Amino acid sequence: MLAAALLMTGMALAQIYLPPAPPPPAQYGRVVLDSHAVRSPGAVVFDHWLHRSKFTCRLCHVDIGFAMTANGTGITQESIRKGYHCGACHDGKRVVEGNVVFAACVSDQYVPACDRCHAAVKRGVRKYDYQSYTARYPKTNFGVDWMTAEEHGLIRPADELAGFVPAKPRMPVRGDFDIAAGVNWVRPVQFSHHKHAVWNGCELCHPEIFATARKSAVQYTMFSNIEGHHCGACHLKVAFPLNNCAMCHTRAPMWAQQ
Amino acid sequence: MNRKRFVTLALILLFSIPSLTQTGTKKKRPLPYEYGRVVLNNNSTKYEMAPVVFEHWIHRGKFTCRVCHVDVGFGMKAGNTGIRAADIERGYYCGACHNGRTLNDGKPIFAACSTRKLTYEDQKRCDRCHSVGKRVPSDFDFATFTAPLPKERYGNGVDWEKSEELGLIKPQTALAGFTPKNPLVVQKDFDLNAKVEGMPDIIFSHRKHTVWNGCELCHPEIFMGVKKGNSHYTMVDISEGRSCGACHVTVAFPLMDCQRCHAKPVQP
Amino acid sequence: MNRRLRAIVVVCLLTGFMGPGTVFCTSQNGAQSTSPPATQTPAREAWQREFDRICSRTQEAMSFSEEDLASLVQRCDALAPQIEKLDETRRKVYLGRLHMCRGLYAYVLESKRNPKK
Repeated sequence: MLAAALLMTGMALAQIYLPPAPPPPAQYGRVVLDSHAVRSPGAVVFDHWLHRSKFTCRLCHVDIGFAMTANGTGITQESIRKGYHCGACHDGKRVVEGNVVFAACVSDQYVPACDRCHAAVKRGVRKYDYQSYTARYPKTNFGVDWMTAEEHGLIRPADELAGFVPAKPRMPVRGDFDIAAGVNWVRPVQFSHHKHAVWNGCELCHPEIFATARKSAVQYTMFSNIEGHHCGACHLKVAFPLNNCAMCHTRAPMWAQQ
Repeated sequence: MNRKRFVTLALILLFSIPSLTQTGTKKKRPLPYEYGRVVLNNNSTKYEMAPVVFEHWIHRGKFTCRVCHVDVGFGMKAGNTGIRAADIERGYYCGACHNGRTLNDGKPIFAACSTRKLTYEDQKRCDRCHSVGKRVPSDFDFATFTAPLPKERYGNGVDWEKSEELGLIKPQTALAGFTPKNPLVVQKDFDLNAKVEGMPDIIFSHRKHTVWNGCELCHPEIFMGVKKGNSHYTMVDISEGRSCGACHVTVAFPLMDCQRCHAKPVQP
Repeated sequence: MNRRLRAIVVVCLLTGFMGPGTVFCTSQNGAQSTSPPATQTPAREAWQREFDRICSRTQEAMSFSEEDLASLVQRCDALAPQIEKLDETRRKVYLGRLHMCRGLYAYVLESKRNPKK
């Protein structure tokens, strides 16, 4: 009886205290968007891996303005046709890496072309396949190692969309620093501003995700990360997952030596 | 018994710790034509009408901030003004212009509100403002109106300040019947230092602000300190809507456009 | 003078006194695209004229002396009870505007009394 109770408690605690197990690499970063609109041809399936290889996070999440949670943006057929959201590129005119990007939401009636995005329960409608597309990129256990791929020049993510918003010269990036763990038996985490700024610029994180300049003012804990706040805004479902402890806790062993 | 209670309490505490975080996620970004939208619902649903949708962009192109927020007397937060249909019908608040008589570019501006029994035509007129959840045609289209204006990042995607400097928009600084005569006197610019090393210093332009706001809009309610340098405005305060955030979160260019304020090069 | 002529003269004089200064303030810069209709704006009441006199000079507040500012603040305080007696709509509107106007003068007065460093 006691053993059963302890086991249940342990499992429940694990839900809160450990990051959830991530999906397999091909599905990591998949976002299902479903506005439950009456005339919708089905939920939209957006896979991050294809767009990550071509664009920085900042371009979509700052310049275009996509939210960081599913269904948080309020994308409609109307906004796409006006050239916002997906319509910033998917307008049948914009050229990315030599290809014209197909126009989205052109038809008021269902046509098979809708399935390229509204692919929730359909098979065989995607142009690109994860395995073949990412074959030459370095991998971790959880998926593509985008950071290394970018450092080695295997991908050159674009940070600007011509004609969409005016470009500005970048602000100087702050240096790297340590983040102290909340408990003294874990060694400080080495945080690299440079590695983050390559993908995110400044505006993606500041001030909404990380509000304060003074490091001591807010405690960023693993609890908040696992709930999707702070680091967990990206490092739960899209960037390398929190399960990959060694990527942040680089000082081995992770726990401090007393 | 005590031990069991202790264990129960400990377990409850353990389970409740994670749910204490409230900040640290990205908010939804409104689209350029949605930025500056204010939804007002002090009384609308009480009287079985849809809440009111007010779009800043069309009014910004025609009036300075001061005309509405000082001379006419609108508050700076949704619901603060306490506008009622009776006020509007008497020619105050929205009724200062939306009275069926005042002309805009030669055409009378539609009258707002009606406290008598509504006819079918009245209902269509009501829907022009009480439009949450409805598709209501407007006299002005965002894309057409903003097409000739210089572009900027985020917010409405329009550089309103430059538009006014170039004369592409001519916002009125006075409203007949509401603005006492007021010669325009412009304040000097001064610097504000950023608190974080590595962030470019801020050049705060009083001149650019008084063009749109006059004096009373900001002083003393939004900026109380009289001695320069004594008040501390942190980014956390600002993003919560205090000081600069009274305007630069939802209506004027948003905080995400860091370089608009942090414009001075970093001192080595 | 006959009665009709006298009546006309009186009407002209009255119009002359009431015409300017009542309302039609034009904008300071740029074209005025919103123009009031010809039949609008009744004459300003005494308290409204006092309000216009006090609160029309907020833009120049920085150039006033401490005595002038103190006097303006006092005049605002003296006007408040008159506005409190109005109907609900005008009380709401004008109290808010008076509050902003008085607040600004008090603010500038304080900044002059505590000189900047």
